[in-house]
Amino acid sequence: MSSFGYLVKEGFKNLFHNRLMSLASIGVLISCLVLTGSAVMLTINVSNIVDSVGDTNVTKVFLDDDLTKLEAVYKGKELKDVDNVVDVQFIDKDESIEAYREQLGEEVFANMTGDDNPLPYSYSVVMEDLSKYDDTVAKIKEVEGVASVSSHREVAAKLTSLSSFITTMSLWIILALAVISLFIISNTIRMTMFSHRFEISIMKSVGATNAFVRVPFIIEGIIIGLVSAAVSIGLLFVLSDAIINSVQKILDFPYTRFTDPTVMWPVIGAFAAAGVLVGAFGSMVSIRRYLTHEGSEILGW
Amino acid sequence: MIEFKNVSKVYDSNGVHALDHVSLKINKGEFVFIVGASGAGKSTFLKLIMHEETPTSGVIVVNDMHLEKMKRRKVPYLRRTMGIVFQDFRLISKMTVYENVAFAMRCVGRKNDSIKKRVPYILELVGLADKADDHPSELSGGEQQRVSLARALVNNPELIIADEPTGNIDPEMSYEIIELLSEINKRGTTVLVVTHEHELVKSFGKRVITIDDGRVVSDSDDDQFVAI
Repeated sequence: MSSFGYLVKEGFKNLFHNRLMSLASIGVLISCLVLTGSAVMLTINVSNIVDSVGDTNVTKVFLDDDLTKLEAVYKGKELKDVDNVVDVQFIDKDESIEAYREQLGEEVFANMTGDDNPLPYSYSVVMEDLSKYDDTVAKIKEVEGVASVSSHREVAAKLTSLSSFITTMSLWIILALAVISLFIISNTIRMTMFSHRFEISIMKSVGATNAFVRVPFIIEGIIIGLVSAAVSIGLLFVLSDAIINSVQKILDFPYTRFTDPTVMWPVIGAFAAAGVLVGAFGSMVSIRRYLTHEGSEILGW
Repeated sequence: MIEFKNVSKVYDSNGVHALDHVSLKINKGEFVFIVGASGAGKSTFLKLIMHEETPTSGVIVVNDMHLEKMKRRKVPYLRRTMGIVFQDFRLISKMTVYENVAFAMRCVGRKNDSIKKRVPYILELVGLADKADDHPSELSGGEQQRVSLARALVNNPELIIADEPTGNIDPEMSYEIIELLSEINKRGTTVLVVTHEHELVKSFGKRVITIDDGRVVSDSDDDQFVAI
């Protein structure tokens, strides 16, 4: 055990000795991990939103701008007559603008009241059978005076496709960054090894096993991995909170935050594991090459 | 114990015949000088004993281990049965004398407790107890070589191999180093000293094996060579 303690200490010394390269490795690994974490957070939240709104059967119907309030109110009857519509509720322009103000702040639509209100009259429409959703929307659109129909379902569908696009993109970027981090880490370790080639030759001459020679370098790699994981977790916590806070002002949904234990612990676990694996693997690649070539010589070099 | 049976070594890279059908036997507890000009094959001889190189043909047995078919992962355990003293000392400059010697024990996984007991004892043996906290740069060549010897001895090897141990130090210091090796030999350790300093060798009256052009051309203990 004491010799393991010694080897761990040597690993830390190596790390410091080679601090510039160590920092570079840590930096690349952090970007890789933060990106991975962000993609995970995005996917979780988008599927949350999709889950929470996808099933609502409330659809918003916007009327043409030029309708008077009276005409607008009459449209309610026509909408209710559409097949599959069970309930309609009239929403005044003023109510709509009020709702926006509540979400975005008083000053945003300050002058847009009364005749200056740019929003149209609208209705919330409740459907009976959601499987006929598309048909019903088509029929509603046929009603004269209806400008557009929107629902959370569309938002959900758009979000889902956006999120899968972002996820695929980040997957490739993460893959590229993972390869780069492996490359940089193995080079960092190789540099440390070359600066220690004298000690290594002595170690080999007194009968140190390859496993023993390897340990400090693997530990150096693992420390790089773990430090990167720790910093990434911190960054992800701060970043995701900031992003959720600002998005929440526009789209109010029950977001899953990083601090949610069902997210945080698995992510921390995965990051630590990824850090250790990338660090250990990166260093092992270069050590194996070194020990079977230059590192096997004692008198020779 | 070292035994070479009909050992040849040809380097693939340049086709040089470094050793040519060499047979010899060094028994446990012997003190042997290996002499020869540079390029005669002395280094190859040592590299074969340490398994840094493998023979092209022939059989090599060192401390009861067959080297010609030894697996890579067994090599460290072969090296633990021998201590190596280098011409250029090979001390780690940023470590103290004590740490340099302790390093050899750490490398083979010895516990702190035994390191703390053993290192001072060995430093005492080579006469450097009062220099334990000095760095190699503060020592004379002879002292540095004694640290190197302490490091070779600390894991209690059966065999000490000294590669030109006096090559980088003053003549009078050289004599002292060989004396010290001879003391160690009296305690039962086999000692193999490679050198080209014939004068030094003569004054000790030990067994001398001369290698020239990859062959053993004389062996003071072997009747076959007495005529020469």
